[in-house]
Amino acid sequence: MGVIEFIGVSKAFGPNVVLRHLDLVLPEGQTTAIIGPSGTGKSVLLKHIVGLIKPDAGEVRCFGTDMARAPEREIYAARRRLGMLFQDGALFDSMSVGENVEFPLVHHAPQMSAAQRRDRVAEKLALVGMSGTEGRATAGLSGGQRKRVGLARAIVMEPEVVLFDEPNSGLDPMTSDAIDQLIVDMKAALGVTFVVISHDIVGTVKVADHIAMLYGGDLVAWGPTASVLRSEVPIVRRFLGRNLVLPTGPDGVAHLPQLG
Amino acid sequence: MSFLAALGQFCFFLVDLATAALRHGIPWRAVLAEAYKIGVRSLPILLTIAVFVGTNLSLQGYNAFRPLGGGRLVGMFVALAGVRELGPIIAAAMVAAKAGTEMASQIGVMRIREQIDALDVMAVNPLAYLVAPRMLGSVLVMPALTIIAVFVMLASALATAVFQLGVKPAAFLEFAIRGVQPIDLVYVQVKSFIFGVIICTVSCWFGFTCKSGPEGVGEATNKAVVTAAVTCVSLNFFLSQLMYGG
Repeated sequence: MGVIEFIGVSKAFGPNVVLRHLDLVLPEGQTTAIIGPSGTGKSVLLKHIVGLIKPDAGEVRCFGTDMARAPEREIYAARRRLGMLFQDGALFDSMSVGENVEFPLVHHAPQMSAAQRRDRVAEKLALVGMSGTEGRATAGLSGGQRKRVGLARAIVMEPEVVLFDEPNSGLDPMTSDAIDQLIVDMKAALGVTFVVISHDIVGTVKVADHIAMLYGGDLVAWGPTASVLRSEVPIVRRFLGRNLVLPTGPDGVAHLPQLG
Repeated sequence: MSFLAALGQFCFFLVDLATAALRHGIPWRAVLAEAYKIGVRSLPILLTIAVFVGTNLSLQGYNAFRPLGGGRLVGMFVALAGVRELGPIIAAAMVAAKAGTEMASQIGVMRIREQIDALDVMAVNPLAYLVAPRMLGSVLVMPALTIIAVFVMLASALATAVFQLGVKPAAFLEFAIRGVQPIDLVYVQVKSFIFGVIICTVSCWFGFTCKSGPEGVGEATNKAVVTAAVTCVSLNFFLSQLMYGG
C-alpha cells in the first residue's frame, strides 16, 4: 500500500471528463511528477489528494484515509501529515513571512514554545534560501520568493508528503531552474514523498523519479522517468517532443537518462 | 430556480458554519479583534449619517406638526422614527457598506488566491477561522453601534429643534420620552442582533463563493452589500409588524 492511492477515480465537470477510472499508487519516499497539457486535470488530481475535490466515483486514499468520505477529523489528521505548495504560494497577505511560516505550528503544535517555533521557522526559511526574512511583508516578495516562503510553510510541520502545484508557473527560466534545484535539494534533505504537478518537462526530468502523464482524462503513461521518456505512445512522444530539449553529446545525439 | 439553489447553498453554509464553530471552538481573541475592527471602522461613517438623519427628522417633523399647532411633538416624532426604525436600519446599512464589503472582498480575494484552500490543506477549518470570529464580532458590536446611532440621532435632532426651530429642550425631551417605551430599546437590540448575523453571513458567503478574477471579487462585494441591505430593510418590516403590529 502506498501513501497515496487512486482507486478507480473518475471526475467530470459537466460534460468535461477530467479523470476517467484512474488507478494509480504513488511510490513512497520518491518524487512523482504528474504531467500533461493544460486543462488535463493535473491540479484536479492534486486537489483530490488533499480532499478539496471529491471524486464522482472511486476512492482517493491518503495514508489509508478515504479523503472524500472519511469524517472531517480523520481528513484533518491526514492533512496534518501533508504539506502543499500552491501555485502562487497562497501566503496570507495580512501576515509577515515569519507569521506565514509559523501559522501551521501555531495551530497544530501547542507543545512548542514561541522560541521553539521561531527556531523552527528560521530553520525552514534557511532551507529554502530565505534566511532572515521573518519580518518582511509578503506583499513585497517576488514570485520566486513567494514560492520559497510557501515551501517553507509547507514543510514546517515536517510532513511525510509534500505536494507541489506547478512550482515553475509564472517564473523566469533562471528562477524556475532555482526552484527545481531547491526541490532536488529538499528531497535529498528530507527524504519524504514528493508529488509535483508540472507541464515543464525539463524541470520534471530534473526532479522526478517517476512520471505519470494525463491526457483526455486517461493516464497515458506511468513509470520511472527514464522509461516514460522512452515511451512509444504517440501522444506522449508528441507532448515530450514539444517540451523537452535533451542534452546532446559530442555526436550531436540527444541522450535520454539511463533506465533503472 | 437559481435563487432557490443559492438560498439552499446559503442554508448549508449556515449549517456548516454552526458545525465548524461548535467542533473547532471559538477563537475569542479573534472575535474581539473583529468586533473592534467592525466597530471602529464603521463608527465614523455611522455617526456622520446619524447626525444628518437626526437634523432632517427634526426639520421635517417640525414642519409637519407646526401647521397643526403641535411643533412640540417633534420630539415624539424623532423618537418614534429614530429609535424604532431608522436607528437599526441606518446602523445595518452602514455596517453592511463598510464592514460587510470588507468581509466580502477580503474573503473573496482569499478564495481566488487559494488562501482558503491553503487553510483547509493546513487542517484549519476556514469557516471556524474566518467566518465565526467575524460573525460573533458583528453580533457583539451591532447592538452597541445601533444604540450609539440612536442617541447621536436624537442629540442632533434636539440640537436642530432647539437652536434652529426654537423648540424648548424640556418640551422636546418630554415628548420624546412619551414616544418611546423601555421595551423599544429591547426591540432595537433584537433587530440589531439579527441584522448583525445577516450582514456577516451574507457578506462572508458571497466572499466564499466568489468567482475567479478581480471581476469576481467586485461582483461578490457588490452582491454582498446589496443583498445584506435589502434583506435587512425587508426583514425590518416583518420584525416591526411582529413588535408593533398590534
